[in-house]
Amino acid sequence: MSNLTETEEVQPQALTGRRAELRHAIVLYKQNPVVVAGSVIAAGSIILALLSSFLVNPDLWRMEQLNQRLCWNNAAFSWPVVNIFDCPGTTYPLGTDAYGRDLLRMMILALPLDMEISLTIVISAALIGIVLGSLAAYAGGKIDEAILRVTDVFFAIPGLVLAIVLMTVLGRTLENLTIAVLITWWPIYVRLIRSQVLSEKERPYVEALRSTGASSLRILFLHIMPNTVYPVIVQMTLDIGNVILTFSALMFLGFSPNPLLPELGNLVTDGINYVFTAPWLIVFPGLTIVIVVLGFNLLGDGIRDVLDPRLRR
Amino acid sequence: MAHLKLYEYALRRLFLLIFVLFAISLIVFYLARGALPPEYSLAPYITPRMTDPQKLQLAQSLGVASASCPSYQAFSSHDPQCSAPLWGQYVDWLRLVAQGNWGYSELPGLAGTAKTWDVFSGRFPFTAQLAIGASIVTFAIAFPMGIISATRNNKLPDHASRIASLVGYSLPIYWFGYMLQILFVLYLAIGGRGLLQGSGSLATQCAICFNSPGTISTFTGMTVLDSLLSGNFPYFWDSFLATVLPIIALSLATLSSLTRIVRSSMMEALRQDYILLARSKGLRERIVVYRHALRNAMLPAITVSGFIFATLLGGVVLTETVFAYPGIGQAIVFASLVVDINFLELYVLVTAAILVITNLCVDMIYAVLDPRIRY
Repeated sequence: MSNLTETEEVQPQALTGRRAELRHAIVLYKQNPVVVAGSVIAAGSIILALLSSFLVNPDLWRMEQLNQRLCWNNAAFSWPVVNIFDCPGTTYPLGTDAYGRDLLRMMILALPLDMEISLTIVISAALIGIVLGSLAAYAGGKIDEAILRVTDVFFAIPGLVLAIVLMTVLGRTLENLTIAVLITWWPIYVRLIRSQVLSEKERPYVEALRSTGASSLRILFLHIMPNTVYPVIVQMTLDIGNVILTFSALMFLGFSPNPLLPELGNLVTDGINYVFTAPWLIVFPGLTIVIVVLGFNLLGDGIRDVLDPRLRR
Repeated sequence: MAHLKLYEYALRRLFLLIFVLFAISLIVFYLARGALPPEYSLAPYITPRMTDPQKLQLAQSLGVASASCPSYQAFSSHDPQCSAPLWGQYVDWLRLVAQGNWGYSELPGLAGTAKTWDVFSGRFPFTAQLAIGASIVTFAIAFPMGIISATRNNKLPDHASRIASLVGYSLPIYWFGYMLQILFVLYLAIGGRGLLQGSGSLATQCAICFNSPGTISTFTGMTVLDSLLSGNFPYFWDSFLATVLPIIALSLATLSSLTRIVRSSMMEALRQDYILLARSKGLRERIVVYRHALRNAMLPAITVSGFIFATLLGGVVLTETVFAYPGIGQAIVFASLVVDINFLELYVLVTAAILVITNLCVDMIYAVLDPRIRY
């Protein structure tokens, strides 16, 4: 009973403490133009990705969707009535591509695919990292050594090269592309979470919890994990952009499942054939990649600044 | 943990290098042989005009097909009778590789005529000169920029370099390469023909150059260095120009990340008490920054050089593809498209060895520079 009253007394104070923390974070957030710009771009690209199917017909990228013109009265010779390589202007703000598709619409269509693949990879990598990283840190000994040696092997190959090898074997589909990038990505999170949990494990509060008889799993997930979450969130935010860079690079290298597919890297790749004749086809999709990746990098950087206790007060 | 001597630690790490190389070769081998049709694993060893019985005999002698395999047709159509166990294939493959036999390259235009090892070692110096050039650019620019950024914290130079490094970090290398090409070819043609000369640097005797600069003798295989050593300055200028744009594109990402790291470690060092002491002694600011702060700020920057090398070795794949530069990075894309397993395997193993040895050297340098570090 006395225990309960004690917590009741402590609770309001903790709440105000947490509220003050939050208010301080908001002040820091407003003072930091970098993180504001980053969050505007990141939120903007996510919202645009979510709205994309309302703004643009999602089947627009398929050739069958273009108006067909019948030649020689034979369905086999039906060609799209197209407006190819229209330069940027009033009708098409960013011009049209080699198939006569509006580049702006293609870019709006490409955004959700990029964001979806990127988020899938980052979230799965973080989950794998949480499981294996905390297992390594908590079990220690041989399990730790084994997990570390496996990550060593992955760190010894540049991610892009490993992804190329995997794609050679797996075959070109979007799923395989996601798997290939994920396989190159998870070791970072294992190392990050392992080191975080290791440093938290030695703190006095863990010892105190252990002395009250709390189980290891309870300590790990209810007490250690919340304290390691900030570096992981920063890493995930930064990685959303980096993953987009990596798999669009794979698309560029020729591992695209379909050259018509609206994906930002794929659009750049398509534009490369016309780099000296229709440069807008490569300039605008590439700029979009830069802006989206820059947005998430700014946001991640800013979150780190706002949450870094050394910069506080 | 017991304190190891430095050389004991180095030996332990070298042992780990062997383990890592074995693990990588196993992974790539099992992936390739397990998932791809059996003909692919035989392809590097077949020469043109081989008859089917000869191919079957070859497959059996290489351990790819089992001894009970009736015919080459059965082998290529996945007959279960023909499947030799994968570990046995691995042992046989390893024996060949230990003898230096990587089979024939299947890169386009070379199929069955050039040895994989020769193709690789002929292309490697080109990549090496790109990577070395890019590391020189990275270190030469990142340190001054990081230091200026840290000493003029929150002033205009700091904001400019921070934004520049963030943008540089977010640029797709391949896209930036093409932007450079558009810029230098369409808008800024320097010397009448632009800086775009990727493939001209392949031949030792430059026949396709605009005004043939003659021949050079081979010392290192790196054209820029070799032409300088043989005293052929027109050739040097040509091959130097051919590397300028690729090096700019390649060093962009590493340059930006190193600048950020130098800045943050410099700022951390400038906050320390010994800096306050040095300033209160009345030392000049230049000495405080360059002698007291920089030496300590160097350490974190050195630790990331392993990471920088990894980024460069991944980046060469994109840069060389963009600029049609005849290095191994361009070749691995070709190798992947024609499924040349041995080339991929060779590339991955050499890259991994370079990376692990770089990281080992970095740790050694770190231990020598910082007496507090014990292993």
